[in-house]
This record gives sequence, structure tokens and C-alpha cells, in this order.
Amino acid sequence: MSATIVPEAEAGAAAAIRRNFWRGVWRVMRRKPSRMAGALILAVFALMGILGPMLYPDPLPRDTSALYASPSLRHPFGTDFEGTDVLALVVTGTRYVLLTAVVTAVITVVVGAGVGLFAGFRRGRWDTVLMRFTDMKLTIPGLPLLLVLSTVWKFTAAVEMGLVLGLLGWGGVARAVRSQTLSLRERGFIEAARGLGLSTTHIVGRELLPGMAPYIAMNALIAVTGAVYAQVGLFFLGVLPFEANNWGVMLNLAVFGGGALTTTAALPYLLAPLLAILLLTLGIVLVVDAMDEIFNPRLREE
Amino acid sequence: MAPEQSPPGARIRGLTVVYRTPAGELPAVSGVDLDLAPGTITGVVGESGSGKSTLALALLNAVQPPGRIAAGSVEIDGLGDVVALGGEGLRRARGRHVGYVFQAAQNSLNPLKTVGKQVLDLGRSHGVEDVRGLLADARDLLGRMGLDGARVLDSYQHELSGGMRQRVGIMLALVLNARLVVLDEPTTALDMITQATILRIVREVHAERGLTTLVITHDLGVVAEVADRLAVMYGGRVAEQGPTREVLAGPRHPYTRGLLGAIPRLVGDIGEAHALPGRPPTLADIPADGCVFRERCPLRMDVCETGRPPVVVSGSRSAACHAVRDDDGDRPAVAAATGEDQA
Amino acid sequence: MIGGIGITKTFRQRGGVLGAREVPALRGVDFAIPKGGAVSFIGESGCGKTTLGRIIAGLETCDSGEIVIDDVAMSSLSHRRRQPYFRRVQLIHQDPYSALNPTRTIHQALAAPLALRARQTGRPRSWADERARELLGLVGLDPGYVLPRYPHQLSGGMRQRVVIARALTVDPEVLVADEAVSMIDVSLRLGILALLKDLRERLGVSVLFITHDVATARYIGTDGELYVIYRGQVVERGPVETVISAPVHPYTQALLSAIPVLHGLESPGEQRVVPVEASGEHPDGCLFAPRCPFRTERCERERPALGRDGGMPQEHACFHPERRSVVALPVSRR
Repeated sequence: MSATIVPEAEAGAAAAIRRNFWRGVWRVMRRKPSRMAGALILAVFALMGILGPMLYPDPLPRDTSALYASPSLRHPFGTDFEGTDVLALVVTGTRYVLLTAVVTAVITVVVGAGVGLFAGFRRGRWDTVLMRFTDMKLTIPGLPLLLVLSTVWKFTAAVEMGLVLGLLGWGGVARAVRSQTLSLRERGFIEAARGLGLSTTHIVGRELLPGMAPYIAMNALIAVTGAVYAQVGLFFLGVLPFEANNWGVMLNLAVFGGGALTTTAALPYLLAPLLAILLLTLGIVLVVDAMDEIFNPRLREE
Repeated sequence: MAPEQSPPGARIRGLTVVYRTPAGELPAVSGVDLDLAPGTITGVVGESGSGKSTLALALLNAVQPPGRIAAGSVEIDGLGDVVALGGEGLRRARGRHVGYVFQAAQNSLNPLKTVGKQVLDLGRSHGVEDVRGLLADARDLLGRMGLDGARVLDSYQHELSGGMRQRVGIMLALVLNARLVVLDEPTTALDMITQATILRIVREVHAERGLTTLVITHDLGVVAEVADRLAVMYGGRVAEQGPTREVLAGPRHPYTRGLLGAIPRLVGDIGEAHALPGRPPTLADIPADGCVFRERCPLRMDVCETGRPPVVVSGSRSAACHAVRDDDGDRPAVAAATGEDQA
Repeated sequence: MIGGIGITKTFRQRGGVLGAREVPALRGVDFAIPKGGAVSFIGESGCGKTTLGRIIAGLETCDSGEIVIDDVAMSSLSHRRRQPYFRRVQLIHQDPYSALNPTRTIHQALAAPLALRARQTGRPRSWADERARELLGLVGLDPGYVLPRYPHQLSGGMRQRVVIARALTVDPEVLVADEAVSMIDVSLRLGILALLKDLRERLGVSVLFITHDVATARYIGTDGELYVIYRGQVVERGPVETVISAPVHPYTQALLSAIPVLHGLESPGEQRVVPVEASGEHPDGCLFAPRCPFRTERCERERPALGRDGGMPQEHACFHPERRSVVALPVSRR
């Protein structure tokens, strides 16, 4: 909206502000080594998600002479029941897991923040209707619904999975964003913006939203972990078909097929996807720590 | 209580309080000497960043990290050097010996407990055995301050007005018979009429109970109303101190003069009021050497850049300024130069 | 010219189990803000002065009564058509810390309303940037220093100047300053007051000054008018100097008596009025009667209206107006 009325000089200033922002982000990240480690972990996972499947032939080669092989140089995490390299399974499985998680996070945040902002800013009737709807949605138990859904829907595409998880998960964010909006809209600067006759789009997008950015960013990252757990859990429970290459499928096969809980042969097969989930969660937790400082100019510029 | 006993005095010597920041340890209070004479009301006036609240905390050795008392001593009669005190002894001294009315006492009550219950909590934590007597004292104190004591003790914070809460704060500071009382911004956020009432109460209770009182405020008017002695703080140092009336009638330090001149009055030529140039320093930009006020000073000289102003004592007054001579009865250098500056 | 007739506002407080309690905030207030003039509302917190200021700025609506801007009654307009009128009244908030968005630079804070202004007036895009610098200069700030900074990097006084500059972006006719200096350091307050006074003189904007501190109201303009408000009613109204030097309503007198005396420089007024502790309410009587040391039986029965009875130069709402000298006078120094 403002793009049409931004003068040249201001566009230059805006670019300068953006440059300063990224410089600030860099400063914040460097303040603690743990944040850099978290960012590095996330970067590695992102690379795995994007490039992983390209690194290995499809279908993955099987070594029928080495079923449930122990870790070795050739197979750092051993092999599975049909002799496929476990590391390769983890790496190629990343794409599905991450894609689902990202779609979930995007939907959670966009729908949640959108509904919350709209309800909180408009108040009155819109607020009541939207919040009743949100409450209703919050009372729907997620896991049972997913179980039911999985009987009719195969979830072969990661995006479909993310869509369902996202649509189930935005309620909490909507509630929280609404209450933040309600308190922020009483602040002097929002009142001033209204008094100056600035448009609602400007007030919501430029004045309200940035104040909630740390919160929304944090929620997005937490939604990622939530989505990873949810889908891995579903696959582990075996309610979904094994067509997709997924960490959850690996866990399921390791426990129920390989007996990883009773014998040691399939243990690396079980631990590898668990380790991946653990690392991903760790990376997110370490990065979440920086969100507040990134989006709060006072903490960022210090 | 033993009213016949004389109230305790306090002597602050060379007090320096530093705060740890990314830029190193910075002094919020730097080499402050201040006497609280027994039985008097001393007023400390300063703007934000003057170190006045830190000074009040240091009086109880209650500076919180990242701050710490780096040097100096706070001698309180009957307690000794508070800076050397620690742990349990310190906790017992607070409340028993030194009463503290917090900044914004209006909001420092526990919203979930009645006032009476908070009095009991206070008594318990100080090992008071006679809780009935304690409650009776609380009731009497509130009654003395013009409130219905029994009703207030049964009330929650939200049932009391700002002025009533402030009185409850004073009661809590006095109910354990502390004889040295610190009031931090006692009237901020109160209305004029309520403020006048509170100040009257402070004066009366001070006299009746034989207290030594320290009032911390940003408002010269408040100090002018209640204090016998006045200390003006700026940038963590005492700029000027002396008997309130004398300082107000003939301020020597250029900051005191400026501050007085910046208060619009109700009568006289309103055009005489002038704002001070610049702004008060924050912890980060208090000059390390020389005079902390020089950036805003109309009398700035070369020596102000390098030398810390000497404390010039004459009689019961003192001022820390290079432009003040020690033999002057009545501010010659300051008067002349400021007059020119305003013309 | 902005005025109001019979402005009434009642707040419904949600109270306990027994339902809502009605708290009258304004009880039929008339006012007029002349072009380029200075009007001050004085009173204690909760007297309704802030609510009145917000109603004048269009941030709240009144229950009954009428706001008139340039002879147009606001109640006759739709919400949308009302906006351009109320834009000419800009509110300066008490708290310069919450009045600026902490996530936006000063440049951004000024650019948004100026871009809108440029579009409305058909000015070129480069105008907004120039104007931002011009306005910051006008309020006594260095644009080069201030523009790229975030609010937290500025002192309270600087922030309040930015807030004033932002209000000026829409070329207002009235600035409503609600306790605009109460959160600013003492040595800087006068600078902000001087700025408001200066804007009156240079731009011809009217200033509506809302405060509990009568002396600051005097600084904005000794030629201004003072409204003393008590529990939603104007109890005394007249030229600043008249009301201060010879107040006739006991509430005004109590208010002025409560101002601290700078002992050593001043001697207290001889007839200082101290209100009594409130006892009981008189539903039909004078609102101040329960605290008034001069109340009579009539005051508890009847409520006085604002008028000019008793041959006083100012309007007042008291049955027994009497001039009292309550203000501290300077000790003869000169």
C-alpha cells in the first residue's frame, strides 16, 4: 500500500533501515555461540531437505547381504531390514518432514495472526464471532481427528499433511495475538495513528504487527517442532501408510519390525531418526532464544 | 517504642555505587557525603539519572546487581556501618531500624492480601510476638493519618485510593517502630490536594514520633514544603546542600539556580522562567572527569573539563562548583554571570 | 474555532455481582477554544478533564451534547465525514514513551502521516522528506541526528518533541496537550512548554492544555482561559491571571493552596483553603459541598450552575463566592 506513495529518498532510507536490520540480526546472533550453533543446525537441516533426495539414487540401493548391519564407515548408522543405508533414509526423509513442518508453521502463523489481529482490532461483533469459532476449534481434539482423517486420506504429499496440521493448530496463536492486539491498540502510538487519519492497513501492518513479530516468529518456530512431533508420531503409530520415506516410518519399522526395544541389532536404525528429531528441536530452541532481541530494536541495537 | 531515646542519625561518607554494563562499571553515585542529622527531615532532589534513588537503596545496603557499593560507608546510629552488614542482620535492620516507603508505594501493596494481613506478614518475618499489639499500632497509625484504621486493615489494595495507599505505605514503614525513614518519591502520581495532605502527614508524624527522615524526590516544591535540609544531586554527585530555606533563597550552584529558575510560578513575570539547556546525563554519558554539569552550565570554565569541583563549605552549606568561592557569604561569581546569561 | 455545548459522558463500571455502576465523568460541560488561543483544563485525576480532551480529539464520543467545529455539528456527520474535522485536533499524549512505536524509527513515524498529507494535497513525493526535516527543526531537534533513530535512543524531552512534530504533520488547528510534561525531567519541562507557547505564536495553533499543575498552564499563555473542573463539572472559568490571583470557588482555592510553597523564596498565601475530609454525598447538592469548609445548608440542597453571580469577573459555580488570596507570594527579593 505504501509502496505507491514512498518517495525516492524514503525508499533509500527504507533500504538503509533494512540493511541496519540485517546487521542487527547478525549482531544478535553473534552475542551467544549457542545461537550460531542453532542457526547452523537449522541450515544443515534445510540443506538436507532441499538437496537430500538429490544425493541418493531413487529408489535407494539395497545391500541384501547386510541386513541390520552395525555402524561402519560405509553405513555410519548401519542398515535397515532390507539393507538400505540408514543415514540415506534419514537424509532423504528430511524433505517430507521439513516441508510438512514449514507448511504447518506458515498456516498456523498466517491464519492465527490474521484472525487474532482482525478480531482484536475490530472488536465488537467480529471479535465475538471469530473467538467463538476459535474456541470451538480449540476444543476439537487433534490426534483423534487425525486418526479418523487418516482412514480416508493417505497423506502421501507433505503439503497435504502440513495443511491439515496447520488448520488444526492456529487456534492458540489466534487467541494470543488477539489479546496482544487488544492491549497494543490502547497504546498511545496506535491512538495517534488513528488521530492522524492513517489507514487501517497501515495501522495493522506497520504499527501493530512489528510489535508482535518476536511473538509470532517464536510461535512459528515452535509450530515447526510441533508439526515434526505430530507427523512423526502419526507415522510411528502406523496409522499412515508407509509409502512416504519418513523418520516416523523408520521409527515404526525399527520398533515393531526390528524389535529395537528388545535386541541391539536395530538400535542404530531406531536412534538415527530420533537423533535427527532431537537435533532439529535443539536447533530451534537455540534460535528461538534470539527472536526477542532480533525484533526488538532496543535489544537489537544495544 | 522508646520515644525518649533520641532518633538515630546517619552519616554517608564517600559513597560510590557502580552498575556493571557492557561498557564497564559506571558510577550511578560517586563520592557522596551526606549527613542525616537526628530528628531532621532531609530532602534529596534530583532528576532521572541523578543517582538519588540509588542513594536511598544504598542507605539500606539494598543495591541490587548489576549494581554494587564500590566504596564508602553508611554509618547509622545503633547499627554501625550498613555497608559492612550482611544477610540476616541486614534483613532485620530493614523495617525494624530503617523504614522504607517505596517509590510508587501506591502500587507496591500485594493485591491479593488485605492490608491487615500484610501487616501480620511483616510482623511475622521480623519475629514480632505481640501481633495484637502490632495490629493495634497499625490501626492507630492509620487513624493518626486521617483514615478509618479498622476498615483500611480489612481492605484490599484496589479498594483504596492513591492517597490512602500512600498512607498505608507510610504505616508499613513505621509500624515496626523504625526511627529512620526513607520516603522515595512519596507524592509522585498524586493530585495536588492529596500531595499537600501527604506532606502535612509526613511532617506531623515525623515530629510526633521523633524520626529522622529522608525524602527523595524530583520535585523541589515537595522538598521546600517538608525538608529542613536539602541536597541537590546531579549526575551521581551532590551539587549543593544546606538548610532548605537558605539554599532556596540563595542558591550557589549553577544547577540549583537553573532548576529553581525552570519552575514556572503562579505570580510574577512568567517570562522570568527559563529552561535549562541540554539534558540530564544518563548512566552511560556521565563525564568521568571534571564537573558533571559542565555541558549545561552557563559558568563553564576550562578547569571544569578536567578537575572535579571541590566541595566548598561555608557554615552549614556546601556547594561543589569551581565558580563558587569559599569566602562568599552570598554567591558573587554565580550571580553576576547568570544575570548576564539571562539578559 | 472549536466548541462544545453540554458535553455529557457517563462510564459504566462493571461492579461485582450486582451489575454495572454508573460513574458520571462529564456533567454538561460547555467550552470554546478560540483560534490561536490557549485554554487550560485544571483539575484532579478523575475529574473528567482527560475524557473531555479525548472527546475533543475525536478519540471518544460523548453521550449527549455537541462538539462544533467551524460551525459544523459533529453529531450530524457520519463517522467517516467526521474524521477530517477531528484531524485538525491533535492529541499530545502524557507519556512520550508509549506515544511512539518502539519498532519504528522517527523517520518512519513522520513519513507515514506526511506521505498521506502529500497525497491529499497533491504535493510531490520529495516534499514529505523535506517537511519532516522542517518540522523537526521547528520543534528544536536536529533532523540529521533524530531521523534515523528509534524512540528508545532519545530522551523523554526529545521524544515529546517528536510527538509534537508528528502532530504538526497534519497542520492541526488545535493541539490538545494532556499532562504533556508530567513525565519529563524537571529541567526539561519548561522547554516543552516554551515550545507549545512558541507554536501558538508562530503557527497560530490553539493549545488546549490539560493539567493538574496550574503554574504550567500559566506558562502556555497568561492571556489564556482557565477551566477548573471538579467531578465532571466546570466550577470556575475565567482569564488565567484572574482565576489565579483572585479565585472565588472554594475548590479552586483548595487546589491553589495545595501548590507547594518554596519557603525562603515565597511566603504562603494568607487565606489558604484546606478541604475537609469528605463526609457523605448530597445527590442534589453542590458536588464540592462534602469537602467544602464554607458549605451552608443551601449547598447540600441545591447544585449551583456556572454563572457570573456576585459581581465577579470570572464565571463560577458557587452560592457563596468570595475572593481569597491563597497563592504564595514572593518574598520581597527585588
